[in-house]
Amino acid sequence: MEDKKEDVDLKLIKYTQEGLPLTRTPYKDIGTAIGISEEEVIQRLKNLLETGKIRRLAASIAHRKIGINANAMCVWKVPSDRVDEVGKIMAKFEEVTHCYERPTYSDWEYNVFTMIHGYTDEECEAVIEAIKKQTGLNDYVVLYSEKEFKKVGVRI
Amino acid sequence: MILCDTDRKILHRLQSNLPLESRPFLALSKELGIDEDTIIERIKYMIDNKFVRRLAPIINTQAMGREATLAAIKVPEDRIEEVSEIVNKYTGVSHNYLRKGKNKEIPYNMWFTMSAKDDEELRNNLQEIEDRTGLIVRSMPTVKKFKIGVKFKIY
Repeated sequence: MEDKKEDVDLKLIKYTQEGLPLTRTPYKDIGTAIGISEEEVIQRLKNLLETGKIRRLAASIAHRKIGINANAMCVWKVPSDRVDEVGKIMAKFEEVTHCYERPTYSDWEYNVFTMIHGYTDEECEAVIEAIKKQTGLNDYVVLYSEKEFKKVGVRI
Repeated sequence: MILCDTDRKILHRLQSNLPLESRPFLALSKELGIDEDTIIERIKYMIDNKFVRRLAPIINTQAMGREATLAAIKVPEDRIEEVSEIVNKYTGVSHNYLRKGKNKEIPYNMWFTMSAKDDEELRNNLQEIEDRTGLIVRSMPTVKKFKIGVKFKIY
């Protein structure tokens, strides 16, 4: 039973992951295509959102195209007992789109990663300055992307 | 930039969830004060002109049972193209960037994200990249997530 449910969810995601039908009744049209009712499509999408299997049902913006050209990955060396406190402060900035704790290595001591998106490098740097001020952290590296080799949404 | 105020308004709203009801764009039209068919037409325009990549479910790889990581490699200057081609061939690789430290030197220059159906496949893929390139791949999977939610201010 569980397997069957998963199969339909998978089918639904695979059918929609390249884009919803742009019609007045997209859920009905998805249902018609994969053989379930409009109500079932809506209910399944609700469940997938509630269980976190899909993060959002939303637009993915080509941020460079709309002028958000700066993308800085800023990595921070944070004492382990301050990771939670600091992570929460960083996450509050609108320009910080991702904030994760990651493992360190002998040649890599930076354990908190922030992705910062802005219209300009200056805008990203102002956010970094504000984070430094609010957290008191000083050991960090700003990594700008020099070249984009690949950028696609996650597909299953 | 050729987005009009209407497009910006739609785009701003569409970064959050589309309503889950029979006529989602009708629901949006009430929120935004823009006609339903106009909304649909403008979304098509923004997709056709590549301002929007897609309007679709954004998958949480981990919740779907997949494993993911951010990986880094120190690639010699003269092998960058070759190594990026090897890495990009994996369908689980969604981002791959050449990065440089601005205020400090860093030991790696190629940074990519990879997901796989489980931990075993992920480890095998990373191992395969090491074998095929002869370079060390540093895997940095998420320990703790504080934020993920790419929403942009639309000016």
